[in-house]
Amino acid sequence: MTSTRSRASDTARRPIVWLAAGVIAVLAVLVAAPLAGLVARTLDSDADGVWADVFSSPLSANLLWQPLTNSLLMGLGTGIGATVLGAFLAWVVVLSDVPGRRVIGVLAAVPFALPSFAIALAWESVFRNDRLGGTPGLLSALGVAVPDVLSWGAVPTVLVLTAHYYSLSFVIVSAALWGVGGDLVAAAELTGASRLRVATRIVLPAIAPALLSGFLLAFAEGVSNFAVPALLGLPVRFQTLSTRLYGAIATGDAARGYALSIVLVVVAGMVLWAGNRATRGRSFETITGKASRPRRVVTGAWRWPLFCTASLLVAVTAIVPGIVLVVSTVLRRTNSFSGGFTWHYWLGESDSSIAQGMRGVLRDPVVLSALQNTVLLGLAVAVGAGLLGLLGAYVVRRIVRPPLVGATIGFLSYVPFLIPGVAFGAAFIALFGAQIGPLPSLYGTFAILVLAGVAASVPFAFQTSRAALGQVSGELEEAAVLTGASGPRRFGRITAPLVSRGVLGGGVLVFVTMVRDLSLVVLLVTPATPLLATMTYRFASEGFTQHANAITVVIATISVVATIFARRLSDARPTGSTS
Amino acid sequence: MPTPARCRLTVALSAATLALGLTACGSTESAPSVAEPDWDALSHDELVALAEEEGSVSVYAFTSRIASIEESFEATYPGIDVVAADISSTELITRLASEHRAGSATADVAYVSDAPVVVTELLADGVLEPYVPQRVSAALPTEFREPLVANRLSTKVLMYNEEAHPDGPPVQNLWELTEPAWTGRVMMVDPNVRGDYLDLVTEMSLRAEEMAQAYQAHFGREIVLDEGVEDAGLQFIADLYANDAVLVDDTDTVNSSVGTLGQASPPVGFTSYSDRRDNEDEGWALQVASGVAPSPGIVFPAMLGITANAQNPAAARLLIDYMMGDDSETGGAGFEPFYVAGDYPTREDVVAPADALSLEDLDAWSIDPQASAERRSEVADFLLTIQ
Repeated sequence: MTSTRSRASDTARRPIVWLAAGVIAVLAVLVAAPLAGLVARTLDSDADGVWADVFSSPLSANLLWQPLTNSLLMGLGTGIGATVLGAFLAWVVVLSDVPGRRVIGVLAAVPFALPSFAIALAWESVFRNDRLGGTPGLLSALGVAVPDVLSWGAVPTVLVLTAHYYSLSFVIVSAALWGVGGDLVAAAELTGASRLRVATRIVLPAIAPALLSGFLLAFAEGVSNFAVPALLGLPVRFQTLSTRLYGAIATGDAARGYALSIVLVVVAGMVLWAGNRATRGRSFETITGKASRPRRVVTGAWRWPLFCTASLLVAVTAIVPGIVLVVSTVLRRTNSFSGGFTWHYWLGESDSSIAQGMRGVLRDPVVLSALQNTVLLGLAVAVGAGLLGLLGAYVVRRIVRPPLVGATIGFLSYVPFLIPGVAFGAAFIALFGAQIGPLPSLYGTFAILVLAGVAASVPFAFQTSRAALGQVSGELEEAAVLTGASGPRRFGRITAPLVSRGVLGGGVLVFVTMVRDLSLVVLLVTPATPLLATMTYRFASEGFTQHANAITVVIATISVVATIFARRLSDARPTGSTS
Repeated sequence: MPTPARCRLTVALSAATLALGLTACGSTESAPSVAEPDWDALSHDELVALAEEEGSVSVYAFTSRIASIEESFEATYPGIDVVAADISSTELITRLASEHRAGSATADVAYVSDAPVVVTELLADGVLEPYVPQRVSAALPTEFREPLVANRLSTKVLMYNEEAHPDGPPVQNLWELTEPAWTGRVMMVDPNVRGDYLDLVTEMSLRAEEMAQAYQAHFGREIVLDEGVEDAGLQFIADLYANDAVLVDDTDTVNSSVGTLGQASPPVGFTSYSDRRDNEDEGWALQVASGVAPSPGIVFPAMLGITANAQNPAAARLLIDYMMGDDSETGGAGFEPFYVAGDYPTREDVVAPADALSLEDLDAWSIDPQASAERRSEVADFLLTIQ
């Protein structure tokens, strides 16, 4: 028996070497090459002494150390806050009997679909004090003296980032909770275990990989976000590494900006290492083959308090920013009620007295083709990144030796957020700008946008897949080896269906990022492929805020529809239906 | 000891990038098939004929107003298709440089702001080349013909709220902004985050003598520089920061904070003079603090250049020629999108729009991109030390 087992597991492992080589090759081109380009730029002769400037000069304090401290604060605060909120809402939606949980489930995925500046704007509309002049927020208008610490700097920044990114943990943890079989919980309860004991000994360990993945994503997003600290931090000179590195690039000192982003990559690598170390050597396998629906917890007297807390959370983070965003598109004057309301920015014909004659966005002939391109790009990238992330996570999970392989894949799949979009674009032009041997140049094609998108969004796919795979017992596959099933067949018929809910969740996150985030592809888009995000940029850069926000509403709508659609899809196919 | 290690790493990395670059190059270095015509000797009709043969021209522009140029140019020259992409100056510069290095397809024309960065990143490496249409050359002062031709000037100047100060600017001298009356009430976009504001501060440093004289005029004594402060311009910005100047991340925030109607004591701030045209639309009362000593701020060029390997060299030149405006008083259709009160045509024979001070009356400093390029990274570093 033992020898059969070990031979079987040997066989299961062999093709993995080839798969590992393939995944690493793809990641080397898509992620490692841009990263190497980044490093090279900071070391070449033009960059004279950029590392000395950063680490050991009179500038270091304000260029590196203070912003680094703030970034870590934002990253950890966002990571922890987002994980707690996301996990709580996931529990309410998947495992509790709280009323309205389906609606809460839809709304909990919305904040990530909104641009982070919309949530910051919502914060300002309530808490903005008189530090800037102009139109004060609601509280100030009511005569409440709002202290700077609530209006600007670390506190609002971390709260807004948490409100934006808890959706990540929510998506990943709810997929994981679906995988905690009701029979497991029921069995534990039969042994007389208390509810707390079930929670801490069974449920919590089962979702630990998901909690870690959610934390890692929120951390990386928190430290790399530029819009929120720029909007809410700068007025009190609160700088993070992202505002510093963006500023350096924007003022023409790219080498310095790239050096700071390498610092971020290294820091993120250390956080990743620490996170993996904390969970190493433990097993979180809860899916052992038998499918069973999750068992709902009867919350009794807690039902309504839980309902209130959960709905307040989604109301504040999804509905209020959503309303602020929508209202901002029908205000005659930018972010001010003084001019009344109008549909002009959506539907109006060109009128020289409004917005320098810009017509409404729905009258713009480009908007339809941009919409089409955007959805197409989102789908293509979601499929590509989903596949790469799933295969990568599968390799990391299964491969034992050499340990460096797993670590390399894990690292390269984690850091793309931290590479500035401009640097990504420049690297892709260098890689694919001209023809390579017999391959034609990809530059200016749709394909290069997809490749760049996959590179930049693979962290979502990898982390969600990793969390999902962490629950699936390896014994399942080994059993299949005994039946003589081939490697791809085992993966396709056993592992893939078991993790489909998690992978689908990751795909949605990728899709949502792709449709709204411009910085990833800004250097690669051509006039031939207009995207909604480029339109937003075009309007915003000329001060046509309402037009820009109207396009943003369109983007958010697409994202929400995609999220709901994916939920339908995964509800229709209950996880683990292998029997 | 660290040097050899660092070198080895550099070598390894550049070898890697070189390998990538090499495969990229070979194929696209197309030898010029025909000798370049003498562009300056061509008549307008000859240029049009060559351009129509090429049939299209691709342009990267930092402003979305390029869309109206596309429309009107195609109406004027129906045989030539304009392909226009608008991206920010920073991204435009990175994109052109990367494409040049990779030898990939690129634009024919670049319409770009951020002049000092263009000088160091694009002109020094030969990514962009100048073209001054002979037709307009005589009407252009030298500084707008070199290093690239400029078609218009924009501003970053001190603006105030006209409603709150109906009798004119609340300050007569920039140095007043460093005094207690203006603590926490001067706004600007963080010059460590946006290039045009870094240019503003750099110009103050380059005009240190004028800043020193203004100090003397206001305080009645000679300026004494703090330790580590090199000149009066930097001293001003250090004092301004110390007076709790409010930094934000975009110009619109400055506009709405300074300009919004109904404020009892609005702040003042550095922003674009031309944004005043949005006053009625947005409910603002922005007005320029003209007459403030030594100067309310800067004017800077938007420049037009041709890429080194332009696929459509004739159409590229025709487009630049078009965007320099025709011989009417307002520059005609090719200049129309840029004919805005508060921006200025570079051509002396085009009359600046009414409803704004003349360039002379505005009395803003005109930046010298080359001098600015040499000074600005030191200024950026200095700003980092006075946070």
